[in-house]
Amino acid sequence: MALLDRSDWYDIARDTNWTPGYVSREEIFPPQLSDPYAIPVEEWETFDEPYKVSYREYVKIQREKDSSAYSVKAALSRSKFHDDLDEGWASVLKLHYGAVALTEYQACQFQARMVRFGPSPSMRNMATYGMLDELRHAQLQLFFPHELVTRDRQYDWAHEAAHTKNWAILGGRHAIDDIMMCRDAVTGTIMVSFAFETGLTNLQMVGLSTDAANMGDFTFANMITSIQSDEARHAQLGSPAIEIMIKNGKKKEAQQAVDVAFWRMWRLFAVTVGIPMDYYIPLDQRHMSFKEFMHEWIIRQYDRQVRDLGLETPWYWDLLKDDIENHHHCQQGGIWSWRPTVWWNPPGAVGPRERDWLEEKYPGWNDSFGTYWDVITDNLLHGREEKTHPECIPIICNMCQIPISNRPGEAWKARALQLEHEGRRYNFCTEPCRWIFTTDPERYKHHLTIVDRMYSGEIDPPTLDNVLTYMGIGVVSEGGHDGHDYSWVDGFRTQAAE
Amino acid sequence: MTAFPILSRFQNDCHVKVVEAEPAQSIDALAAACAYHSIGVHVKDQPGKILRVRPTSDSDDAEPWPRDMTVAEAGIKYFDSIDIYFTDPGAS
Repeated sequence: MALLDRSDWYDIARDTNWTPGYVSREEIFPPQLSDPYAIPVEEWETFDEPYKVSYREYVKIQREKDSSAYSVKAALSRSKFHDDLDEGWASVLKLHYGAVALTEYQACQFQARMVRFGPSPSMRNMATYGMLDELRHAQLQLFFPHELVTRDRQYDWAHEAAHTKNWAILGGRHAIDDIMMCRDAVTGTIMVSFAFETGLTNLQMVGLSTDAANMGDFTFANMITSIQSDEARHAQLGSPAIEIMIKNGKKKEAQQAVDVAFWRMWRLFAVTVGIPMDYYIPLDQRHMSFKEFMHEWIIRQYDRQVRDLGLETPWYWDLLKDDIENHHHCQQGGIWSWRPTVWWNPPGAVGPRERDWLEEKYPGWNDSFGTYWDVITDNLLHGREEKTHPECIPIICNMCQIPISNRPGEAWKARALQLEHEGRRYNFCTEPCRWIFTTDPERYKHHLTIVDRMYSGEIDPPTLDNVLTYMGIGVVSEGGHDGHDYSWVDGFRTQAAE
Repeated sequence: MTAFPILSRFQNDCHVKVVEAEPAQSIDALAAACAYHSIGVHVKDQPGKILRVRPTSDSDDAEPWPRDMTVAEAGIKYFDSIDIYFTDPGAS
């Protein structure tokens, strides 16, 4: 029997909805989990997702995608790729899997909230596919690194990271809990589907896949492409929700949700993407700088999308542009300096050739970040490796949970922005992080950074060993060391000899 | 009184660092404690220069504390942010 075209039945099936007779709609869709903006249900029934798919089509496509990803992995699993792998790229993999794998399960729960509490039937329909997408992503990104655990225990952080209190995970969890796990369905889809997925991750995966292919890591490239193709579809849940909010007089609320989420995820994105692009990927395999990527793929496109929807460019746009040339360079220094606290082996990767490249891509790098690495390089050249391990800790931002840092050298921009609230002093890295706190202090005021935990007695006594154990270092795996065993300093030795 | 944490905003450094301060220590001793975690670690030394300490302010122009004043006398409290910066000998 011939099947009907999807367009013949899609709208009727998708819009299946009913008026409850035995309970009120508010009991089925509590505002705090569904729509706190009190937009009429008839308005939500106009929700029209740009990308349409039926369950039959979905299953067929997803089976093909899974088949492709797993068969490429199986075909290449006996290759010697990981035997001779540059530790810089290995660090990209370890950082990615640890930060992302179980976050995908959280994304699955988030999509499930939209499936259950989304105020629009078409939102619930699309989120069902999104929920299955995220489940698949978690399974892929847990399974792929699993075979590498016997080779290197640090890959076990794919499974373990989210269950630890590692400082980097506290940062990820604080942001993901905020925008994904503890929001109603409408605010969540604006924050996650639009600001995070449309704004950052969908495009990032295109770049990451290119980087993986350049490295010859076709297993990872194929997996990321497979995930990105799902992301491109379910990320489209956000735009129709924003349009309905604006049409119903909730532009201010939509704008705030978008701006909060984009900044929150940007601070993490720069660490997980910017550092790999400009430092971990070997120089000869870099296809573009992080700054070039951000301007080409994010700044121009995201800003246009925001304005096309009827929202405004985020108020912090100039601060973001400055942060693109600053934040990840600071955190490369910080993560490298406090490398025993992370689950990958960050290469310093600032030899003479790399520094020339950084200066070309980021004019002025040598006069600012270069002064920081000058001191470290001098210590390594003169056998003072112990001086490359700071004996103190940096203060951590009470919003993004990342060390408060800024341009070093003559610029001397590092500064903690402080705020007193109900007798407690909070420290922030930037104006947007402080602004986010002020939008909803009740939401954020109780959280303790890793530094707060050291001084509140939660880590007692706060000795180096205790802090590392608290963070899962030495428990899940050993902490990090320089990924290239300081070989990046050799170029300076050669220069000195000449 | 026991040691407590302050935020060390050390000139030319990339990070704001947590350093322990003692109420009875002099401002010079506090500057030295902060310098230990920055100079030769992330900041190049400037031999011959004197380190001064002032409260962190938005405009970076607060008056430095007298070098022989104690931390308690200066009123520096838990998690206060302070600037530590190089000056020429004899500069005010």
